Amino acid sequence: MMTTIGGIYFSVCAIACLVGALITVLARNPIRGALGLLTTIVGIAGLFLLLRAQFMAAIQLIVYAGAVVVLFVFVILLLGADAHDPTGPGKAKLVRVAGGVLLSASVGVAGYLVAPELAEHPMPFVAAPAGHGSVAAVGSLLFTEGLVPFELATALLIVAVVGAIALARGRSENKAVVAEPHATLRLFHGPVHSRDAGYPLPKGTDR
Amino acid sequence: MNQLGFHVESYLILATLLFSIGAVGFLTRRNLLTQLMSVELMLNAVNLVLVAFNRIHVGTMSGQLFSFFIIAVAAAEVAVGLALVLGFYRIRNSVHSDDADTLRH
Amino acid sequence: MQGILKVFPLNDFALIWGILLFPLVGAIVNGIFGKRLGRSAVTLMALTAIGVPFLASVFSYWVLLRAGGDAGHGHEAAKLYVKGWDWMSLSLPQDAGSTQLEVAFSLDGLSGTMALIVTGVGFLIHLYSTAYMAKDPGYHRFFAYLNLFIFSMLVLILGDSLPVLFVGWEGVGLCSYLLIGFWFGEDKNAQAGRKAFITNRIGDFGLLVAMALLLYYGGALDWTSMSSAAESRFLVPIDLSVGVGRPIGAILEWLGLRYVSAASLIGIFIFLGCAGKSAQLPLYVWLPDAMAGPTPVSALIHAATMVTAGVYLVCRMAPVFVLSPAAMFTVAFVGALTAVFAATIAFAQRDIKKVLAYSTVSQLGFMFLGAGVGAFTAGFFHVLTHAFFKACLFLGAGSVIHAMHGRIHDADASQDMRYMGGLRKYMPVTCWTFVAACAAIVGFPGTSGFFSKDEILLKAYTSSVQLPEHSRTLKLGTEDIVLMQWPSWGPAVLFAMGVAGAVMTAFYMSRLFIGIFMGEFRGWTVVAVAAKSADHAHADDGSREHAGHHGPVAGLELEGTKPSESPWQMTLPLVVLGFLAIFAGLLNAPLLKIAPLEHVLAPLFEHLEGVVLRPDSDLLEHQLVWFGVGAFTVGVGAAIWVYHLKQGKPAEEFAARFSGLYRLVLDKWRVDELYQETVIGALEILADMAVWVDKWIVDGVIARVPAFLVSAAGAILRLFQTGRVQAYASFVVLGLVGIGWYLAMPHAELSVLGDAVSGRYVVSASPGLGYTYRWDENGDGKYESNNYLARTSLDLSLGRAERRTIKLEVANVFGRTDEETIVIERPREDKSGGTTRIDVYNDDSGGLQGVVRKPGTANQGKQP
Repeated sequence: MMTTIGGIYFSVCAIACLVGALITVLARNPIRGALGLLTTIVGIAGLFLLLRAQFMAAIQLIVYAGAVVVLFVFVILLLGADAHDPTGPGKAKLVRVAGGVLLSASVGVAGYLVAPELAEHPMPFVAAPAGHGSVAAVGSLLFTEGLVPFELATALLIVAVVGAIALARGRSENKAVVAEPHATLRLFHGPVHSRDAGYPLPKGTDR
Repeated sequence: MNQLGFHVESYLILATLLFSIGAVGFLTRRNLLTQLMSVELMLNAVNLVLVAFNRIHVGTMSGQLFSFFIIAVAAAEVAVGLALVLGFYRIRNSVHSDDADTLRH
Repeated sequence: MQGILKVFPLNDFALIWGILLFPLVGAIVNGIFGKRLGRSAVTLMALTAIGVPFLASVFSYWVLLRAGGDAGHGHEAAKLYVKGWDWMSLSLPQDAGSTQLEVAFSLDGLSGTMALIVTGVGFLIHLYSTAYMAKDPGYHRFFAYLNLFIFSMLVLILGDSLPVLFVGWEGVGLCSYLLIGFWFGEDKNAQAGRKAFITNRIGDFGLLVAMALLLYYGGALDWTSMSSAAESRFLVPIDLSVGVGRPIGAILEWLGLRYVSAASLIGIFIFLGCAGKSAQLPLYVWLPDAMAGPTPVSALIHAATMVTAGVYLVCRMAPVFVLSPAAMFTVAFVGALTAVFAATIAFAQRDIKKVLAYSTVSQLGFMFLGAGVGAFTAGFFHVLTHAFFKACLFLGAGSVIHAMHGRIHDADASQDMRYMGGLRKYMPVTCWTFVAACAAIVGFPGTSGFFSKDEILLKAYTSSVQLPEHSRTLKLGTEDIVLMQWPSWGPAVLFAMGVAGAVMTAFYMSRLFIGIFMGEFRGWTVVAVAAKSADHAHADDGSREHAGHHGPVAGLELEGTKPSESPWQMTLPLVVLGFLAIFAGLLNAPLLKIAPLEHVLAPLFEHLEGVVLRPDSDLLEHQLVWFGVGAFTVGVGAAIWVYHLKQGKPAEEFAARFSGLYRLVLDKWRVDELYQETVIGALEILADMAVWVDKWIVDGVIARVPAFLVSAAGAILRLFQTGRVQAYASFVVLGLVGIGWYLAMPHAELSVLGDAVSGRYVVSASPGLGYTYRWDENGDGKYESNNYLARTSLDLSLGRAERRTIKLEVANVFGRTDEETIVIERPREDKSGGTTRIDVYNDDSGGLQGVVRKPGTANQGKQP
């Protein structure tokens, strides 16, 4: 492993990815988690650049960093204080810890299985042709072999948008005539109706 | 340009680590939002593997193409997932995944 | 005559169908459409349905007599035969081929006479019933059942083989059940019907076993085949101790019952069937209860026809029966015993129908006594005369009950002798016909009953059944088996029992007559029977005629009509039957040297060698007749003295002195109670055990244990249903790990294809992703190549009885390996000599023509 600029660059991006991942997973505050996710995504984008996937890097930043993470942040802000994890790990900790441990162990084992083979048959990076990873390259493949998946993905996105809106709107019909609570709360909690009776209103609602 | 970085193993190891972290995080944390973010981590790890191998098999762009679609689907999934989280919050007033236990016996 | 024979040839006598089908059609029409058609239409249909068969029977009988007359005395008996269709083919044991059961009917002397009795007396009783059942809402149903009964009885009589007879046998059993329980609204009647049917069924078991034995030893079940070569087929010894186990075999040996001849066994089982149908010991218990049915039913079924089917069967099976003195003596002895036993019960009964019922049982005993000693004609003649006088007695009783019912509305009290008396003033016709029938049954000299009973008594003393000398010892293997002979004390004992029975018959019948018709009428006031007042309230609902009336009240004068004579439809049959009861004796009166019936039946019975008469029987005939006359005199005289002259006081004193004995006799010797305790009690214990098993073992263990296991498994599985996504995801991960492990490891599997004939085998390895293979072909334990190659299969050629070990090692992409070993053996040549299949091909067309199986040399079995 030669310490070249490439190597340093790789290390920086890798560390960014890992640190971001750890923050995402370990942070109590979900905003911190979101920012960790952002770090990981940016790191991955950097690695894409190193792998001559310029288009993918751009997409990564635009979609993931620019939309997905933003969406996360929006929702966290909307939830406010309730986005926190209230208490530490509680019931059935054992099952989850076991799952996690097992997963890691199996990953290790997989690596152990793969490593000798990889050692025997190394796969070096070869010279990439010009235009590898460019928009034109990906685009030409996208609109020839990947046309059907492309259209299907379009449909999927439309469905997802409509579905998300439908799910997030909640029961907006049959508005009960009540004293108007705070606007944000109203948007958020939906109509205060007798059907919702039994569920406690969030803290801080003045009713 | 050649030999820009480490061999492909590095990328694989990194991706493996990211995937593991994401998986463990999904299984262990009880905050719904954290779980969703862990899922994103796993998807990113997979993307990395795909693009790395595409760098080795340079004749085709299939790896990056596949990665492209994964991103598209991930975006859709996040949108719907967050809408679900909001819906869940509306009912249960929490984002604690342990509270989603109506399917209990 | 010739013209008639052209239309109805003797062996295809289609008129028999006419005899059979009219009652069947009558039954169907009355049953299905009767309600809609109305009373008069049903009456017409029913009477036609039996009148026409009667005329047809008369005609057929005439044809038979003419045909028999042409053939001459001593020849083969004339028979009118018609075949219906082939029923089924049964294969016989021991490779004797198969026998064809046919539905065929025949009319010879025996069945022709019986058919005349059935249709003739049946017609009179149908006529009687039109008046007796006139007010019953189930009128059409009654005649439907009655016609169905006539049909079944005719099938029984006219059947040419035992299976067809059995169909009729079951049919009459069914109709008996239906008619006894005719007023099924009352539970007592339904129970009586059930009792009759079940007791019959027990007897039918005997009949079925006998049929099986006949088929096994004789190979055919129709009358002609049975009588031909009967001796050679049925005089074979049977070892009863085979297959029953040691202890029972030892008991049989000790009793001397180990060896029997086939004829004996068949005879015993047939008699079991007859005991059920004809109410002999021990299966007579249903007949008294059967009096719960309407009186015409009692007259027709339980006096004249159905119960005599047993005697008919014995006479039919005479060729087989006479081969077994043991079976015949059993028949005679049980008959005589029943005659005496039933007569004792009749002494104390108060219900007039019950007295007549026990009288029927007793008279049937006489008939079996006659048939059992070999006097088939005498026994059958008693059937004939008994049909007349017993039907007359029952119909007369019915007439009396009809009259009493108008006065006492309680169904049981209107049959009670204690409330009758002096009815001769009010019902003269009934009284005189009753006198005539009574005279016949007690054996007043000159009446039909006298001749028939006398003949039986005579034959009981002089006739016996013996085997010819050369057949008395049979050989079974190396053992000599001596068959049971007619005991020397037999004739004397049987005669004594018969005379005792005759005396008792005379006594109780006179008692009955005096009780009903003589003296003063006692039914003006009815003494309340306290025990009955609880259950009398709805007793007459059973008759459905007088529902809603209250029963008699203690001591008060009853309202109601005076007893009066019955309508002409009821008295005319009485007159006809009374006349026949007196004068039918002339049909078979050897004393007077006129015996036309004997002439008709002779061809059937005269060549039975087993029946042996004492050489001095002609002399004894004139001496023994005085015993019969004496029995009549003693019995009737005693009854008159006790009941008429002394107004029954001696009887009451006797009952008071020996009250225990009197109670016992009044309770019919408590035989029913005995059966209830033992047989039915045993069945109830079995039923209770079954309930216990069902409750505790089937429900408790077999049902609960799996249920418990399932719920336990469910409880365990429920622990996994936490409802939390993460838990589920963890399980997914665990599964994933397992699958991944399986996929990451290589798996070596071998399969072999090949055949033993050519010795070529192909060994293939299962493919896998990235697998490479290494083989060890010759079994030396070392792999042929060091490297892993892509060869996935191996071709082998093995010699006979050669064994090869093949080893495979598989490596996958990750460098992991797995190995598997297999042993292949080619079998030796097959020289076992088992059947070889040779396909026979058609030379011309090349198609498979047939298959021949050649036995190998190892098989020493039969040639196919």
